[in-house]
Amino acid sequence: MTDRFHAKNPVYPLFGFFAAILIFAAGLATAKHTDGLWYLLAVWLWFLLFGYWRSCLVIIPFAAVFSGIFAGITYASSGELPATLAAVSRCVAVCLAVLPGLSLPAVKLTRNLSQLHVPRAVTLGMMIVLSFAPLLGREIKRIREAMRTRGAGSLLNPKVFYRALLVPFAARLVNISDTLSLSVETRGFCTGKAAYTVYHPVKLTVRDVLFLLGITAGSVAIIVWCFI
Amino acid sequence: MKAVYMENVRFAYDKDAWVLNGVDFTAEYGKITLLSGMSGDGKSTLLSIICGIIPNMTPGTLEGKTYVAGKDVREMKTSEISRQVGCVLQNAELQIVQAIVEDEVAFGCENLAMPQEMIEKRVKAACAMMEIDPSLKTRTLSGGQKQRLITAATLAMGQKIIILDEPLANLDKEGTHTLMTALRRLTDRGYCVIVTEHRLDMVLPYVDEVWNISKGKVKKVEDKQAYLISRAEIITDSCKPPQNPSELLRITGVKKAFAKREILKGIDLTVYRGERLLILGQNGCGKTTLSRIIARLERADEGKIEQFIDKKLGTRRASRRWFKEVGVVYQNPNYQLFMPTVRKEIEFGAESKEYADEIIDMFDLHSLETRHPQSLSEGQKRRVSIAAVAASRPKLLLLDEPTVGQDYAGLQRLVDVLGKIHVRDNNTMITVTHDLRPARALCDRAVLIEGGKVAKEGGKELVDQYFLS
Repeated sequence: MTDRFHAKNPVYPLFGFFAAILIFAAGLATAKHTDGLWYLLAVWLWFLLFGYWRSCLVIIPFAAVFSGIFAGITYASSGELPATLAAVSRCVAVCLAVLPGLSLPAVKLTRNLSQLHVPRAVTLGMMIVLSFAPLLGREIKRIREAMRTRGAGSLLNPKVFYRALLVPFAARLVNISDTLSLSVETRGFCTGKAAYTVYHPVKLTVRDVLFLLGITAGSVAIIVWCFI
Repeated sequence: MKAVYMENVRFAYDKDAWVLNGVDFTAEYGKITLLSGMSGDGKSTLLSIICGIIPNMTPGTLEGKTYVAGKDVREMKTSEISRQVGCVLQNAELQIVQAIVEDEVAFGCENLAMPQEMIEKRVKAACAMMEIDPSLKTRTLSGGQKQRLITAATLAMGQKIIILDEPLANLDKEGTHTLMTALRRLTDRGYCVIVTEHRLDMVLPYVDEVWNISKGKVKKVEDKQAYLISRAEIITDSCKPPQNPSELLRITGVKKAFAKREILKGIDLTVYRGERLLILGQNGCGKTTLSRIIARLERADEGKIEQFIDKKLGTRRASRRWFKEVGVVYQNPNYQLFMPTVRKEIEFGAESKEYADEIIDMFDLHSLETRHPQSLSEGQKRRVSIAAVAASRPKLLLLDEPTVGQDYAGLQRLVDVLGKIHVRDNNTMITVTHDLRPARALCDRAVLIEGGKVAKEGGKELVDQYFLS
C-alpha cells in the first residue's frame, strides 16, 4: 500500500489482521441494527486513539462516497430507510476493516510472517504484491504521460489510445517482473529451507494486546446487544 | 588468485545463434576487471553466466567450463551462487522491494542469515560508502540515488566477488568517484570486482585489467590508454551557437518539493531560441524535475515559466498542441514506443511520409524498419524513440539522459544526428546528461544546478570545469 497512509506505530500485524476480521464480521452481522453504527463509530475512535489518525481521516471521504453510492442504489430499489442504513453500515464496516492493512508498512508484515516461519514463497509473494501495487500505479502514470508527449492521449482515436497504453504497459510488466525476480534471487532470497534472519523483529507489546482486546470486547458486546 | 575462470564457454539463447563463442576469461581477487564492448556483444550474457542467472533462470544452450570461487556454476542454484557473488544488475529502479533505504539494504543481509547487530553495522557501512541516507523513502530517490542504493544493498551482503552491470548509467561525476573509490578499497582488501561499462573515461583510471568482448570472443587488452583513446574520446561539436537569440522560456523562482524534501529552491533561468542548453548537476539535484516542469509534466509548487514559443500555448496546460511544439525524450525509451513497426513509429509523429523517410535515413534505421520497437535492444530503442520525437519537428526538444546504454559508436552517431536536426530545424535543445563524452557536443550554454538553484552559467568551459576538475 502507499506509504502516505502508514501509521507511525501500527499494531502487531497479525493482531491487525484479526481485528480486521472481527470488525468486518461484527459490522456485517449488526448492519440491520441502528446500534451497529454506534459500534462502527466506537471502532473508528479506537483506531484514532491508537495513532491511526492519518488513515482514519483519509478513509472518511472514501467511505462517504462508497456508502453514498450503495445507499443511493439501495434506497432507489427498496425505498426503505432501514435497508439504506444497513447498506451504509456494511460499507463503513468494510472501510474500517481495511484500515489496519492500509496503515501497515509492507516490511512489517513480511518480517512478522518471516518471524512466524510462514513459508518464504508466501512471504516473497506478499512482499512483491505489496511493492508491485504502488509500482504499477507509477508505471501507468508514466505511460499516460508518455502517451501525451507523443500525441497519443486522445480518446477520439481509441485504437492508438489503447495501443499506446497497453503495448508499453505489457512490455513494462514483463520487464519489471523479470528484473524483480532476478534481483530477489541474486540477493540471496530462496524458497527452500535456507536460514534467514529478521533485521528489525516485530515485537508484541501490551499496547497491541490492549488494542485487540478492545476490538474483541466491542465486537462481542455489540453482537450480544443486538441478538441476545 | 582466480575468482572467476571461464574456459571455452559458448552460449546461445536460440539454437546455434552463439552470443558467446569460445570465451576464455579470468578475473582475479584483489583486482577490478573491466569487461568492455559494443551494445549487444554479450557483456551482460557473460555476467549472467557468472552469477548463475544463465542457465538457472534464463534458458539457453551453455557449453564449456565456468568456475566461480572454485566451484562449477552449473552445479549451483542462483541463490547458492548469490552467497559467493554479489550482483548489481541494470535497471536499479525495478529491483527495489522495500519502502525505506535501510530496509532495502538490509534485505540481502537478512537472506544471508546475518545476526541483527551485523546487519546494522553492514547497513551503516554500505550507506556511508555509497553516501546515501538510510532513512530516506525509496520512492523519493532520483535515478542516480536508486543506483547507489542497489549498489549499497549488494555491498552490504559482503560477498568476495562483486559484479556490476553498467553501474554508472545514472551516476554523476561525484557518484562515479564514490562508487569506484569504494570498489578500489574493496579490491585492496582482496575482493574481486568485475564491471561492464560504456563510460570508459570514468572507469579506466580505477581498473586493473580490461577485457574486450567482440563477436562472441573475449580478449585481454594490454594497452589501456590506447584503448581509452580509441573508445572514449570526447566528441567534438559541429554546430555553432545562435547569434543574438531571443528568449524562448523565462523561468522565475521555480520551487518544487517531494515528500517535504525541497528539490528546487528557486530556479531562475532563461532559455534562448535556437540554443542547446545543457543542465549539469549531481544526482538528486533536480535536473529531471526541472526538465519535467519545463515540459509541463510536473507542476511547480511556486514560481512561473513564461514561454515565447507561441502565445496560444498559454502558461500551464500540457495540451496536444503543446507537445507538438515541445518534444520530450524520456530517460527510458520503453514508455514512448507503441506502434507495431519502427517505420509506423516514426510516421506516427511525422508531418509527411517523406519526412519520415528522411528521419529513418538520418538515424540509420532502415535495417530495423519492419521490426517491432519493443523487440529492439535498449540502445536501438533509444535511437528510435529520439527519431520518433524528432520526426514531429518540435521547436523545443528536451532530452533526459539520451546517451544511457549507448556504446561509443552509437553515441557518436546519435550526437551527429542530433546536431544535424538542430541545424536543419533550428530547434532549441535542452539536455540533461552525466556523460562527459557527448556533453561538449550537445552544448552551446550550460547551467549547473546546486542546492536547488542555478549555481553557475557558462559555455563549454563550464562543462570542462564540471567534468574534468
